[in-house]
Amino acid sequence: MTRGARVLLLGPYVLLLAVFFTVPLLLMLAISLSRQSFGQLEWTLTPQHYIHFFTDAYYLGVLADTLWLGAITTVVSLLLGYPLAYHLALTRSRWKPLLIVFILSPLLVGIVIRCYGWMILLADRGLINATLVQHGWLTTPLPLMYNKFGVTVALVHVFLPFMVLSLTGVLKRIEPQLIEASQTLGASPRRAFFEVTLPLSLPGILAGSLLVFSLAISSFVVPILVGGFKVHVLPMVVYEQMLSVFDWPFGAANAFVLLLISVALIAVYIKVTERALRGIV
Amino acid sequence: MILRVSVGLVYAFLLLPMVIVVLAAFNAGNYFTFPPQGFSLKWFANFFQRREFMQALWLSTELAFWTAVASTVIGTAAAIPLVRGRFRGRDLLNAFVTSPLLLPQILTGVALLQFYTLLKMQASYGALLIGHIVVTTPYVIRTVTATLTHFDLALEEAAQSLGAHPVRAFFEITLGVIKPGVVAGAIFAFAISFDNFTLSLFLTSAKLTPLPIELFAYLKYSFDPTAAAVSAFAIGVALVLVLGIARFMGLEEFTGF
Repeated sequence: MTRGARVLLLGPYVLLLAVFFTVPLLLMLAISLSRQSFGQLEWTLTPQHYIHFFTDAYYLGVLADTLWLGAITTVVSLLLGYPLAYHLALTRSRWKPLLIVFILSPLLVGIVIRCYGWMILLADRGLINATLVQHGWLTTPLPLMYNKFGVTVALVHVFLPFMVLSLTGVLKRIEPQLIEASQTLGASPRRAFFEVTLPLSLPGILAGSLLVFSLAISSFVVPILVGGFKVHVLPMVVYEQMLSVFDWPFGAANAFVLLLISVALIAVYIKVTERALRGIV
Repeated sequence: MILRVSVGLVYAFLLLPMVIVVLAAFNAGNYFTFPPQGFSLKWFANFFQRREFMQALWLSTELAFWTAVASTVIGTAAAIPLVRGRFRGRDLLNAFVTSPLLLPQILTGVALLQFYTLLKMQASYGALLIGHIVVTTPYVIRTVTATLTHFDLALEEAAQSLGAHPVRAFFEITLGVIKPGVVAGAIFAFAISFDNFTLSLFLTSAKLTPLPIELFAYLKYSFDPTAAAVSAFAIGVALVLVLGIARFMGLEEFTGF
């Protein structure tokens, strides 16, 4: 393939990305270092918005809550996703395509719809509470929504497919002979799992966890709809600063803090996966 | 046995909210309770009669269509040198072209909003379309790359040694073989664009609202099952699209396992 053909084929997308992705992100960095007075941007190089963020107890609390929710979501997704991925990697069932549809379809159903499903289930007058109250098993509804519990449930639901896809890719590549060999040598199935399968699937565990964590800390639809603006997370602060308060420099600084965390996670993710994962995520 | 039961429970958890939304859409009552209060299509009727939902549905369909067309052409073209080319910096370029996929979309959204506003291009159809193309093209590159890696270059060489021009060899041989990946990529790009919320939120206005944004706005003020009818409709669209991907590429190939 000649150089000219390469440029012709790759050029359009690289150019599009440079203009409508890289430049806007650099602009966001510049805005986060600028000042705003009466709605006008003044191009400066001031760290004041970052200092504001890292010295204000409210924003530090938001950051801590964001990371904490991300961590819980990751751990729960791993615990729920591992058995699913293990089963999917080994199964020879003729229903396997259907199982893949089950895992993929939540990915293709919009996030607003999935949150709405949880709202119907978890609201004070939602399906769970209404059914419990109607049958007289409860007098007051359980607080299932507009709190961290509801947000965590919905976050796990939204990001679980990414964990399953990451894990299945790795689990499928483990040679079955290795497990058979360990059992021939006298290991119990349980021991074979903990000493062969689990260690060999570590790259998948790490990759899936990084992906889910990075997606979970940047989600704001779930905290807004299922959290009802009561669970404050960093992306929600960005959203409010940009679209309600209109404080662009501070909003951009918040976004950049989130970006730095994501980029750090992505860098590790790329290192971990190398070419081990060739899926849709 | 324990594995099977727990796997079944997790699948139930994955599907539960979608099943509930669909049931609520066909339920007669204002609130969805158990047992259901009878079958009704009135929420669907309301969805199809409301102008704002119909306009949003049309906008989303049109936007997803043009996004799919553009990102399929650009993405397929880009995938070829990324798989076949032997040049310095290929790995770096590979990481660069897939970066919109890895970066949280809220950041792309915020950055594009500021960029467009400074250029006085905000909340325009073109601006929204470009944003969608930026985030869907990496998916096309992924699916095309997956099929292109299995492609036997000897086929193309045979065509060329039989006298075909390289460009003709590409269109008649290569494109025919990688078609499953291209079509699956196009369908996936359509689906991602049709359901996109996060990026769209920053690039829309009162006059330019795709369906997910309209639904979000509706949910902020009312809780009635018209939203469920809208959602059930979108779930139906997603299912059709998944079946399309399964038909053209096969889901095991598509997901990489």
